Amino acid sequence: MFTELNSILNASPDSFTQGEFILVSDRQSDASFLIHHFLSFYLRARCRVCFLGLVQSFCHYNAVGQRLGVSLTQAKEKGQLIFLEGLKESLSILIPHENNTEHQAMNFLRDPAVGLRSLYEFVRSGLTGSGSSEEGAEEWGPPVLLVDDLSVLLSLGVGTGAVLDFSHYCRATACSQLQGNMVMLVRCNGDEEEDGDEGSEWLLKGLSHQCSLALHVQGLPTGYCKDIHGQVEVCWRMRQGDGQHTQKKLFQYKVHDKGASFFARGTSSAVL
Amino acid sequence: MLTELLQGIEAGGFLVIQDSCSYSGRHLLKSFINAALNRAEVVHVLGFDVSEEELKDGLRTSDTQRLHIHSAYTDPLGWTERPAFTVHQFRLEDLTDLVKQTPHPKPATLIIDSLSWILRHVTPPAVCKTLHQLRKGGAVRAVIGLLHADMHQRGTVGSVCHLATSLIAVAPGAKGDEAVAKITKRSKFRKVMQDEEIFSLNGDFTVTIHSKRSNPEQNWNDAEEEQVDPTAELTFNLRLSDSELEAKKKLMLPFVFSKEKLATLSQPAFLK
Repeated sequence: MFTELNSILNASPDSFTQGEFILVSDRQSDASFLIHHFLSFYLRARCRVCFLGLVQSFCHYNAVGQRLGVSLTQAKEKGQLIFLEGLKESLSILIPHENNTEHQAMNFLRDPAVGLRSLYEFVRSGLTGSGSSEEGAEEWGPPVLLVDDLSVLLSLGVGTGAVLDFSHYCRATACSQLQGNMVMLVRCNGDEEEDGDEGSEWLLKGLSHQCSLALHVQGLPTGYCKDIHGQVEVCWRMRQGDGQHTQKKLFQYKVHDKGASFFARGTSSAVL
Repeated sequence: MLTELLQGIEAGGFLVIQDSCSYSGRHLLKSFINAALNRAEVVHVLGFDVSEEELKDGLRTSDTQRLHIHSAYTDPLGWTERPAFTVHQFRLEDLTDLVKQTPHPKPATLIIDSLSWILRHVTPPAVCKTLHQLRKGGAVRAVIGLLHADMHQRGTVGSVCHLATSLIAVAPGAKGDEAVAKITKRSKFRKVMQDEEIFSLNGDFTVTIHSKRSNPEQNWNDAEEEQVDPTAELTFNLRLSDSELEAKKKLMLPFVFSKEKLATLSQPAFLK
């Protein structure tokens, strides 16, 4: 959890806006440090977290989590964290074993045309906590869905429209019905103008229409720098009441071993 | 012209509010809903994009007799067992049934939030057909739809917009809460009026017009007729004046054998 980012977003584990859909995107850069931030943030906030880790193994997320001061293993044991390890699950779908009674969340791998309904069913049961209501179990806060990352689904052959349907249903359940939060990562390669990868560009636009807060990470326009790793554009959408529609702020960041620092443009300690 | 449209759309009218992810047109759509409620019209809202609560936020919900929200947000594809309205029900018969569920002497205004959701699942010709039938059918007085233009191919946006009697394309303005609306209005006699206005929305979704563009009313047909003179800025003359023509005639070009030249060349001294 990065305290500087918390102050930018005006949130803390004790008090944060509920019902938000946070879209994290990156272009020719890596925004996965923000996924680790939100994972540790919501675990500290004692939320019930459903994490779709489609890119890395559980060990990876656990190792990074430990650096940020949370233990994913413990959270999983306590029932706070529901973790879908995409890499393992996909293997069990592709190489089925007789004694394999795993859930069918990754069924779309067999036929991507069927859509992501089974994955949504997994998310819904994870968020509502059905099937794990043991007596004496700890009570958790509002449910949170984290996805790392949605673009992988496109690579696996799922259509952009199907991914947008999936995110719509997740938002309806997590943000509107259960008043929890949702964080999704989308990756875009190539330049915006070039139309390098049409699918992920379309996905990003579709999700931008759905989200309430967007964090867009990109490299520095001036090229590589040792002390500034890139810039992140924070965009608040649909702020109600004050008549303001979108508010944008741009920050530069540097990722450290156990955190990240955010600063206004041109105010890096290496420059000043 | 925006104020004019807010004051009322003619019967059988179809208004499209076209937006992109940089500026949401939903707030302007809410202005139109409030304006219709103020005129004591019956309004039916078909909501796909946002939840009923979010849609109701800022609306004059005291008019429960005249404001009917049909939320297709929670289950637009019928993934759960009891969908209220699915996207595949976007047909004249189902929509007429929906509107007639609450009988009212006056025909209603139908608000669609958004057409983009429908266009992702129903083919553009089918959507256009339904919209056309709705306009002509008489079950609804007018239709107002939100369209996220950046989520569709240009042809799809074009075909829907072509059907509209009025089109408002919104984009972010230069200042914080200001926005630019490009308005195209087609009258019954197919006269096309265009206008560009800078506006801002207040907390109660009333619209404040700040300025109009210098050439506010321009007729498209006139624009087509007004042809630019291609010979206006040529760096050479296309025709010669009389004196120039005379000078040109007098000019003796090389390798043209005049009588004198021929006589000189045929002298014995040359022939040797």
